[in-house]
Amino acid sequence: MTIRRDQTAGLVLDAQLHLLDRQVLDRDGVPVSTVDDVEVGGIRPGEPVDPAAPPPVITDLLVGTEIATRIFGGRPPASRRMPISWRLVSDVGTVVRLGVAGDSLDAGWVERWVSEHIIARIPGGRHDPE
Amino acid sequence: MKRIFAVALGILTAIGGFVDIGDLVTNAVVGSRFGLGLVWVVLVGVVGICLYANMAGRVAAVSGRATFEIIRERLGPRAGFANLAASFLINLLTLTAEIGGVALALQLASGVDPMLWVPLAAFGVWIVVWRAKFDLLENVTGMLGLTLIVFAVALFLLSPDWGSLAGQALAPTVPSSESVATYWFYAVALFGAAMTPYEVFFFSSGAIEEGWKRKDLMTERLNVFVGFPLGGLLSIAIAGCAAVVLLPEAISVTSLSQVVLPVAQAGGTVALSFAIVGILAATFGAALETTLSSGYTLAQYFGWSWGKFRRPARAARFHLSMIVCIVVGVLILFTGVDPIAVTEYSVVFSAVALPLTYLPILLVANDREYMGTEVNGRGANALGVVYLVIILIAALAAIPLLILTGAGA
Repeated sequence: MTIRRDQTAGLVLDAQLHLLDRQVLDRDGVPVSTVDDVEVGGIRPGEPVDPAAPPPVITDLLVGTEIATRIFGGRPPASRRMPISWRLVSDVGTVVRLGVAGDSLDAGWVERWVSEHIIARIPGGRHDPE
Repeated sequence: MKRIFAVALGILTAIGGFVDIGDLVTNAVVGSRFGLGLVWVVLVGVVGICLYANMAGRVAAVSGRATFEIIRERLGPRAGFANLAASFLINLLTLTAEIGGVALALQLASGVDPMLWVPLAAFGVWIVVWRAKFDLLENVTGMLGLTLIVFAVALFLLSPDWGSLAGQALAPTVPSSESVATYWFYAVALFGAAMTPYEVFFFSSGAIEEGWKRKDLMTERLNVFVGFPLGGLLSIAIAGCAAVVLLPEAISVTSLSQVVLPVAQAGGTVALSFAIVGILAATFGAALETTLSSGYTLAQYFGWSWGKFRRPARAARFHLSMIVCIVVGVLILFTGVDPIAVTEYSVVFSAVALPLTYLPILLVANDREYMGTEVNGRGANALGVVYLVIILIAALAAIPLLILTGAGA
């Protein structure tokens, strides 16, 4: 499946059915996160949607802290958001695939921090299992 | 030999479900109090776990998605989180009990206080999870666990009255000394042990660890239909030994030494050493299974990188969470709690975890986006729905029965 990014003739996705809670894998198939929420551009919350307006488009996948608000409610502050730009998405199937390496993403900082500061310092942490 | 190793994943998974430390004792308790009157529950459980483990393994092989990824995707964040919390507590309590179980098995072999063995057992579990390749850990523990077959051998050596054993199994009655509620408490406990959710978490994630694809579906089926019936057989053999030796003498089972008593009586020291090796391997295997399952469920729910096919630094949060679980388990054991009693309470959390685990598996096994042409047939779906109803009834009955009977006392 390819994704066309033409504003008027894009791929129609049902966020609930095709995106939310699916795994996000990077270029090499390494899990990066799950899709915890999506940021949609072109509509404003609370305002009526003009039927004649162009359809809303996804701008970002949100990962990380959004999961807590989807379980318990509320909205996280904008500064806490960990977005992955929709432009990096290369495929949407049973998983969402990115066209870049996970290490290059800001959203992967927690995994990198735990890896560098804890796991890699334990003997054997950088070696393949035997 | 390669053929035997090919089914190691199924055997190890089943051992963790049917003959981990809690079930070793439960099976012997059941045998010593009800004879073979609860064998039918084990058979119902074996069919159920075969059905659903086969679905979970097929989904993993065909779509590449392990069970908790599917749970999150189908149930959404809230119900998925409820399942995660319940499953995680079951995992943690069982992991705690298994580390204690390894220590108890070592005590049986050496006579040294189990408290001294606990740190060593915990370190052993961690070092294997940290450094050993997946196929090494499943082959060694799966094969050594097979020595528990000594319980079946012992049953033959005891030359019991087969007619009366068959009578107990085929026409189950509640003994006059036991209440009906206690009978059903143990029925639910045995069914819960057979269908315990970490089996499908471990089996489906193990399928990914082994790199199974669509072409490996035959291997996957072989693992399911050899492993789980074997687990059920071991569970029945342990109950059978207790029914022949302990029931007539009215010996109540409270510890491992009573579990192995019939084996020692039937086959002497040699048989006893086989039983001890088997118990050690089974509890150690179950400890690995529950430790890895804790990591798998957390990582798959939150979308972390996971798997023993990656080096630890490439699956950092997965490994960190398992280290934390093992440390917490050791701390719980150091409070002096009885490891075997710990597993009895995990049945409470099954009430939430069982239905919320098996429903998404059934749904995705029918989804052509995931499965292509490998979706469930009508027979599997009909049986799957029947089992969902049984699971729901068992789950709802678990807590009232636990309270009513004082955990089967």
